[in-house]
Amino acid sequence: MQLFPRGLFEDALPPIVLRSQVYSLVPDRTVADRQLKELQEQGEIRIVQLGFDLDAHGIIFTEDYRTRVLKACDGRPYAGAVQKFLASVLPACGDLSFQQDQMTQTFGFRDSEITHLVNAGVLTVRDAGSWWLAVPGAGRFIKYFVKGRQAVLSMVRKAKYRELLLSELLGRRAPVVVRLGLTYHVHDLIGAQLVDCISTTSGTLLRLPET
Amino acid sequence: MLGFLSARQTGLEDPLRLRRAESTRRVLGLELNKDRDVERIHGGGINTLDIEPVEGRYMLSGGSDGVIVLYDLENSSRQSYYTCKAVCSIGRDHPDVHRYSVETVQWYPHDTGMFTSSSFDKTLKVWDTNTLQTADVFNFEETVYSHHMSPVSTKHCLVAVGTRGPKVQLCDLKSGSCSHILQGHRQEILAVSWSPRYDYILATASADSRVKLWDVRRASGYLITLDQHNGKKSQAVESANTAHNGKVNGLCFTSDGLHLLTVGTDNRMRLWNSSNGENTLVNYGKVCNNSKKGLKFTVSCGCSSEFVFVPYGSTIAVYTVYSGEQITMLKGHYKTVDCCVFQSNFQELYSGSRDCNILAWVPSLYEPVPDDDETTTKSQLNPAFEDAWSSSDEEG
Repeated sequence: MQLFPRGLFEDALPPIVLRSQVYSLVPDRTVADRQLKELQEQGEIRIVQLGFDLDAHGIIFTEDYRTRVLKACDGRPYAGAVQKFLASVLPACGDLSFQQDQMTQTFGFRDSEITHLVNAGVLTVRDAGSWWLAVPGAGRFIKYFVKGRQAVLSMVRKAKYRELLLSELLGRRAPVVVRLGLTYHVHDLIGAQLVDCISTTSGTLLRLPET
Repeated sequence: MLGFLSARQTGLEDPLRLRRAESTRRVLGLELNKDRDVERIHGGGINTLDIEPVEGRYMLSGGSDGVIVLYDLENSSRQSYYTCKAVCSIGRDHPDVHRYSVETVQWYPHDTGMFTSSSFDKTLKVWDTNTLQTADVFNFEETVYSHHMSPVSTKHCLVAVGTRGPKVQLCDLKSGSCSHILQGHRQEILAVSWSPRYDYILATASADSRVKLWDVRRASGYLITLDQHNGKKSQAVESANTAHNGKVNGLCFTSDGLHLLTVGTDNRMRLWNSSNGENTLVNYGKVCNNSKKGLKFTVSCGCSSEFVFVPYGSTIAVYTVYSGEQITMLKGHYKTVDCCVFQSNFQELYSGSRDCNILAWVPSLYEPVPDDDETTTKSQLNPAFEDAWSSSDEEG
């Protein structure tokens, strides 16, 4: 969590951690998944679908999410719908996505209110009649993230034999494109298995897989 | 091992424990062995393998050249070096051979007198093993990707067939015609599998990323669609449930039928509880899957912690089923591996790939301890290999 550069977004976004980063920190993936699921059920964290890759899930503390969303929609016309959403839906339903019937019948939202929520950026369209939970203003984060990931991967790709020692990679100067920090991206690449992690006598080596 | 044997002998432990411990130890030592070979008959890649469940002695293989070969796996010679010979084959000169590639072959589950094969030429053929003639042919409108017959059922002889169309067809062997159609998928069906626990439960996997469980006796449709996010179950939610984020290529029930494994082109493998359709969230990591048609993988049977063998590019990855840990990658094939089967009596794995080879992975045995006797070692040496020079300085 400390790795996330808050200053960059002027406090408008809550700190987002990716699931792949959690995998690189916890050695056993199944245990990590189960613990995340427990936390999600207890309501401590929310899992959000990040648009660029169906597998990448962002993890945010519920408290942070709530404060940021309220701050983002202060004074805007859709504030009322958003507050109602935060108060009624978030504690009740811990899922990633919501369906049309669920919203109208169980929670009593009208279509216009749902449109407000989509305008506010809290919901993103998934399918006809179903929505993903989203973070308002996450577009910039996703843009920096995708560019940064590609940049760090290309640093490994350009190295001789397509492999780099972890310590050497972290010691290099980050290219301008990488706004979120090298360590943030390295954790994500290791966890998503986009690089192979090999332990050698001089430390961990990151190597691009064969294919 | 000696501890297990003495415990079994004195009755302190159940005999099954020794068997399971030894099976697990053998599976962990699987490797290519220079003494074991399978005769090479196929001229094209091998798409499917099946070992008969009765004795575990005969294996069928189906290739992309339409040829079906029957091998005898048993080692009846006394030597350790053994090639599994082909007993017979349905080659290109047979009048009833499949015109295009054979996708799935399966032995009749109750004896070896019959087997079924389905192919891209839109037919499912039922063969009599002794005469090698087709006993029956079922024709479909689309290419057949996969078929399966229930391994435990005594009440019905239905063969489930998955084709390029979105409907699953059930063909009855007794009457010789298609008895029902299961509707519910939206794209081609890449894999079908009956449950080894219940007679009437069928799982189907399709390119529209959904896996559905059916009870074929019910008229109203599928029982459950598996959802990877384990969201709330309600009628409205069903339409958006996806098991994977890409096509679902392969299905395999564990040998007790309580869990189902699925692999998809999103490079993930998932384990599901087959009674309520819940994702058990066991994470196997990235399981590379680039196959455009079905991928046939298999689960071990009779070990204390079951293992799943999945073709991963040109290697086979071995994982423990319930904890998701990767044990090893079996490297040996030259091209992509398409199918693998596990022989549970001897804990051997056979795999077929696009390089037209079938490799046998055998548990590595202990090296025989060399005898201290010099005479025995000398007599084993072939006179042609003996040195003719002597190390002494004098001419001798």
